Amino acid sequence: MTGSQSSLRGANRALVVETVKRYGGLTQVELTAATGLSPATVSSIVKELLAAGVVDTRSTIRSGRRAQLVTIAHRTGLAAGIDVGPRHLRVALADVTREIVAEQSLPLPADHRADTTLDRAALLVVDLLERVGTSLDDLLGIGVGLPAPVEPGTGLVTVRGVLRGWDETPVVHVLAKRLAKPVVVDNEANLGALAESRFGVARGYQDVVYVSVGAGIGAGIVLSGHLHRGFGGTAGEIGHVQVDPQGRICRCGSRGCLDTVVGYPALVEPLAVSHGALTVRDVVQRAADGDPGCRQVLADAGAVIGVVVAGMAMVVNPQCIVVGGELARAGDVLLHPMREAIARRVPLNQVAALDVVAGELGARAAVLGAVALVLETTDRAVATGGAQDAVDVGEPSGTTAGGAW
Amino acid sequence: MRDGEQVIEVVGTTRRTPVLSVRQVSKRFGPVEALVGVDLVVHPHEVVALVGDNGAGKSTLAKVVSGVLQPDSGLIEMDGEQVTISSPSDAHRAGIATVFQDYALCENLDVTANLFLGRELRELSLMRDGEMEQMARRILRDLTSRIPSVRTPIGHLSAGQRQTVAIARTLIGSPRLVVLDEPTAALSVAHTAEVLNHIERLRELGLGVVLISHNLNDVRAVSDRIEVLRHGRNNGSFDARRVSQEELLAAITGATQVAPVRPLGAVG
Repeated sequence: MTGSQSSLRGANRALVVETVKRYGGLTQVELTAATGLSPATVSSIVKELLAAGVVDTRSTIRSGRRAQLVTIAHRTGLAAGIDVGPRHLRVALADVTREIVAEQSLPLPADHRADTTLDRAALLVVDLLERVGTSLDDLLGIGVGLPAPVEPGTGLVTVRGVLRGWDETPVVHVLAKRLAKPVVVDNEANLGALAESRFGVARGYQDVVYVSVGAGIGAGIVLSGHLHRGFGGTAGEIGHVQVDPQGRICRCGSRGCLDTVVGYPALVEPLAVSHGALTVRDVVQRAADGDPGCRQVLADAGAVIGVVVAGMAMVVNPQCIVVGGELARAGDVLLHPMREAIARRVPLNQVAALDVVAGELGARAAVLGAVALVLETTDRAVATGGAQDAVDVGEPSGTTAGGAW
Repeated sequence: MRDGEQVIEVVGTTRRTPVLSVRQVSKRFGPVEALVGVDLVVHPHEVVALVGDNGAGKSTLAKVVSGVLQPDSGLIEMDGEQVTISSPSDAHRAGIATVFQDYALCENLDVTANLFLGRELRELSLMRDGEMEQMARRILRDLTSRIPSVRTPIGHLSAGQRQTVAIARTLIGSPRLVVLDEPTAALSVAHTAEVLNHIERLRELGLGVVLISHNLNDVRAVSDRIEVLRHGRNNGSFDARRVSQEELLAAITGATQVAPVRPLGAVG
C-alpha cells in the first residue's frame, strides 16, 4: 500500500521536474495547470525539491500578482551553447552538470549572414536567461559551433567560401563584445564528437570518430581522449574528400566533393521529379514512413559516406564511429549501408569489432559539446584542479577570447 | 483555357492538385488597383510566402482568400474545384483558416475559450467543456507550444504566446490551408523562433500555408516558395532555398521586372 503511494509520489515528483524543464521557468499556479496535479500536491513537491536542491524558487510578478517562479536549480552558473547550422540556430543553457535548463531553436534562411544570425543568437541567449529567471551575471561563457572549420582563438572560418556570408567574421570578438562574456568557437562536428564521447553513446571510448550528416558532412576526431582539430582546424572535413572526379564544383572550389554528392541540394535533387521540392527533414520523415524513393536516396548516401568514413577509419583506427546530424534520425536506412561499406573496407582487428552506432544526443549534440567546451575552459581557468575526465578538450593554441581570462 | 497558365507553375509541376489555386484575381477600390490579374498556387505540405512593399496587395489577397473581400474578377479553386468565398464562414467551410495581424482574440477569456470562439462544441445547448479542453491541449501539443495551461486568460499571455493561440485556433475544424498575415511582426527573437517553428509544424502536418511577411529573413527561413507582389501584380516566383536576399529585394522594389509568361506583366 505504502509502496504504491510512494511510487505515485515519485511519479508526481518526476512530472513536476519534467514540466519545469520543458518550460524553463513556471510559477506554481502555472505548474499546477500544466501538470494537472492539485495545488497542495504541487506546493509540497516543490518544497521537497527545493530542500533537495533540485529546483530554485524566487518571487516574481505574474499579471500584477506576486507569484513563486520555479526553475531548475543550477549550481555556480550557466553555460550557453549556440549551434549555428546551415538552416537552423539552436541555443541552449546548461548548468555545470551539463543539464539543459532552457533551449530554443530557430529556423534560418539558406546562406544566412553572420551579422543577422549572431545578433539573433545573442538576443536568444539573453531571452533564455530571462526565461529561467536569471541574467547575464550568471553566465560563465558561451560556446559556439559553426558548420565549417574554424580557428578557435578568433572564430574565423579557415577555409574561404565553405560558409557563405561568414568569411572574415571574428565570431569570438563579435559575441564577446556583445555579451561581455568569454566565448569559445569550434567546428560543429568537433563539438558533436566531444559531446558524444563525453556523455553520449561513446563515453568510455578513447578513440572515436563522430560523423555529422546533415546539410553538409563533417567529422570530429577524438584521439586518446583528446579532440584532434589539426593545424588549421580542418581535421575531419570529410565533406571535401573527392568522391566523384567528374563531379560538380564544390563551394570550396574543388571538384566532386562528398558534399556535392550527398550534401543538401544534391540529396534532394534526385527526388525533385518524382516527389517535388523536399527538405532534408521531409526526406528523413518520408523514409521513416516507408517511402521507397526517399529510402533509396538515404541508403545510397549511407553507402557513399561509408566509403569515405572507411578511409578515415583506416587512418585513425577508432574504437567506435558515431553517426549524428539530421540524417542520423533516419536510423538503419542510412546506417546499414554505411556499416556495410565500412566493414568491407576496414580490416577487422582481433581486439574488438569497430562499432558504427547512431549518436545518443541527437540534435543537441553540438550545443552540448559547446557547453562542455565552455565548462572545460572555465574549469581550467578557475583551476579547480578536479580530475580530468576521459576526454580532454585538447589545447588549441589560444582557445579563449581576448586576454580577459 | 487553362493550358497557358500551367506553364507558369515551374516549381510545382509534378505535385498533387494544389490545395489553393487563385487565378487572375483582380480587385479595385475606386481608382486604386489593389490586385490586377494575380495568380497564387499553394500545394499541400507547402509554405508559400507573399512578400511585397506596403500596398503591394498582400493583405488584400489574404482577405480575398479568407472571404473578407470579394474579388471583382478571377477564380478561386480549392483542391481543383471552383469555390465562391463570399464570407469568412464560407472560407472556414472550404477549409481555409486565417490569422490576421490583430489576432482577434478575447482578452478576458481563457485559451480554450479563445480557440473555440464561435465554434464551441455543444451537446443540446450545453457546452462540452471537458472535450474542448482536451482538444485544446492536444492542438497545443501538436504545435509543440510553450503555453503551460489552457485555462490561462489571454490577457495574461505574452505577445508570442498570443500568436501561438491565434495559430492554434486555425487548427480547430481541420483546415487544409492556413493564411498568416505578418505573424512575426513586433515579436521578440524568442517568440519569432516559436512562431517559425509552428509554421514548420503546420507544414509537417500536411497543410498548405500562406505566409505574409515583411521580414525576408523569416520568410526565407521557413518558406518553400516566395511570391513577390508589386503594385497589385505578380512580380516573380522564387524557390526560397535558392533565392538570394538581393534578388528578392530587386523584385520587391521593381529593380527587376520578372515578367510572367503572358504579355500582361510586361506592362507593369
